Amino acid sequence: MSRKIDSLEKFACSCSNWFNWAAGIGLVGMLGLATADIIGIKIFKHPIPGGIEVVAFLGVIVTAFAVAYTQVVHGHIRVEFLVMRLPKRAQGIITAIVSLFGLALFALLAWRSYDFGCVLQATGEVSMTQGIPFYPFVYAIALCCIPVCLVLLVEFLKSVMKAVKK
Amino acid sequence: MTSVTVGVIGIGVLLVTFLIGMPVAFAMGFVGLVGFCYLVSPGAGLSILARDFFTQLSSYSLTVIPMFVFMGSIAFASGMSRRLYDAGYTLFGRMRGGLAMATIAACAGFGAMCGSTNATAAAMGRVALPEMKRYNYDDALATGTVAAAGGLGILIPPSTIFIVYGILTQQSIGKLFIAGVLPGILLSALFITAVLVLCLRNPSLAPAGGPTIWKEKLAGITGIIEMLVLFILVIGGIFWGWFSPTQAGAAGAAGTLIIGVVRRQLSWQGFLFAIKDTLRISCMVMIVVTGAIIFGHFMAAAKIPLILSDWVSGLQLPAVAVFAVVVLIYLVGGCFMDTLALITLTVPIIFPVVMALGFDPIWFGVIIVLITDMGVITPPVGLNVYVVKGIAEDVPLETIFKGILPFLGALVLTTVILLAFPQIATFLPSLTSY
Repeated sequence: MSRKIDSLEKFACSCSNWFNWAAGIGLVGMLGLATADIIGIKIFKHPIPGGIEVVAFLGVIVTAFAVAYTQVVHGHIRVEFLVMRLPKRAQGIITAIVSLFGLALFALLAWRSYDFGCVLQATGEVSMTQGIPFYPFVYAIALCCIPVCLVLLVEFLKSVMKAVKK
Repeated sequence: MTSVTVGVIGIGVLLVTFLIGMPVAFAMGFVGLVGFCYLVSPGAGLSILARDFFTQLSSYSLTVIPMFVFMGSIAFASGMSRRLYDAGYTLFGRMRGGLAMATIAACAGFGAMCGSTNATAAAMGRVALPEMKRYNYDDALATGTVAAAGGLGILIPPSTIFIVYGILTQQSIGKLFIAGVLPGILLSALFITAVLVLCLRNPSLAPAGGPTIWKEKLAGITGIIEMLVLFILVIGGIFWGWFSPTQAGAAGAAGTLIIGVVRRQLSWQGFLFAIKDTLRISCMVMIVVTGAIIFGHFMAAAKIPLILSDWVSGLQLPAVAVFAVVVLIYLVGGCFMDTLALITLTVPIIFPVVMALGFDPIWFGVIIVLITDMGVITPPVGLNVYVVKGIAEDVPLETIFKGILPFLGALVLTTVILLAFPQIATFLPSLTSY
């Protein structure tokens, strides 16, 4: 069982890492585009068409693709001072419950984002100035929930193991 | 059950999920979702979950977060903290307590590049603590200075806390940034005064450093000129209406990147580190904001902010008395909770009350930052103290907390001055267009 969890953890971490680099490309792209837009506006008096819209959409990539890795490195802020003072077994039980809640949240988000993306695709909703379709970015959010769920599942399984360990 | 009862239970459950260590963003999203589903309908709750995530993550106003965080991370990876410290050293180094004063000045400078308290404390701590140890500074004074002055990172613009406050309350981020400038200078001056007073009372706390020749002074100051120009460009750009906050962040990040590359202080590894660091911090902040928005919908459905605001208005208490209670909530909450968590949890509920009392929203934002600055250095959570402890491993936590006390006094004094003279925070924003 423990070996299977280790393999799953390795896979989840690897996925999260790849997604994080995709977010990194989005970040560099966001900086490049926003800077080019400023130069366009201030020097050439001509902004990049749809620059603001694309920067905003890149915000989805930068954040959604980084959620899983941020969870892997425990980057999401939490209040830890109370749990740290508890015995190991109690810590395991609490972490299992917390991971399960998180897993439920991101599983629901994946499902609802996929549904929402389908609706946007069917209705053909696009951005106001450049007509960029919304749905690929909503699907991206649904996709990014998969590694997050995997990371939380690993955390849940490891915590259960920690709680039942004698 | 009435909607208010459900709302109050929701707040209680949220606090429990915080205490059991659930990530703040997930807790707010989860409790907000369940509460909204219960009060309105499961269909509406699930629909709002997906919509809120997409709307927030694709919001142009939120892209200001990764841009300013990137600016701070590149400054950190480029070792700009060292040059700021060197400049401070050439100015104050020869005086008693001069290294502590240099640390405060450098923290103020780094706060102008970076919007986080713990990043400022970490960056300056690594540079300043070994120097102060070398000159036999008192451990409490040295560590207390770094932990407290790190707090300047969220008061002096850019500041992640101002950004989050601005988004949650729909106030101008540009005006909030500008509002932090004068209180930031005031607080820096009071921190330096605290060091001076301590050294006058007990000269053995902080021996004088070595003298510096004019050539070194000149080199120290010219070493930070481009940072000064960048700060004026970024914050001045917002002040004079050249840039929107996101554009200012992008200009700042691009400028910091160029400085790092031209000065050959930013390696490829450093750049990759800055990217990873930015992703981690900005993802954390943006997901917290999204969680707070979902929780805010639940609170609105439960009518909690409205009823609380009506109730407080009906109490017929003087506005100052109610405000004192609000300050107390932040003060106590800040001791137990992370700054960002506290602000995202309380601002949507308390802000309507503060508005009903007729206080200025920009000024209130500055007051909140000052109070939460106290939270980052007070036990048991005091994040900056743990950051400093991580660098000065041989110094006991009690010593660091003891070293904090004079600076805590300076923070309280700054807050009192701002309560008495709100114009210190509101004057500059009244002149800005963004």
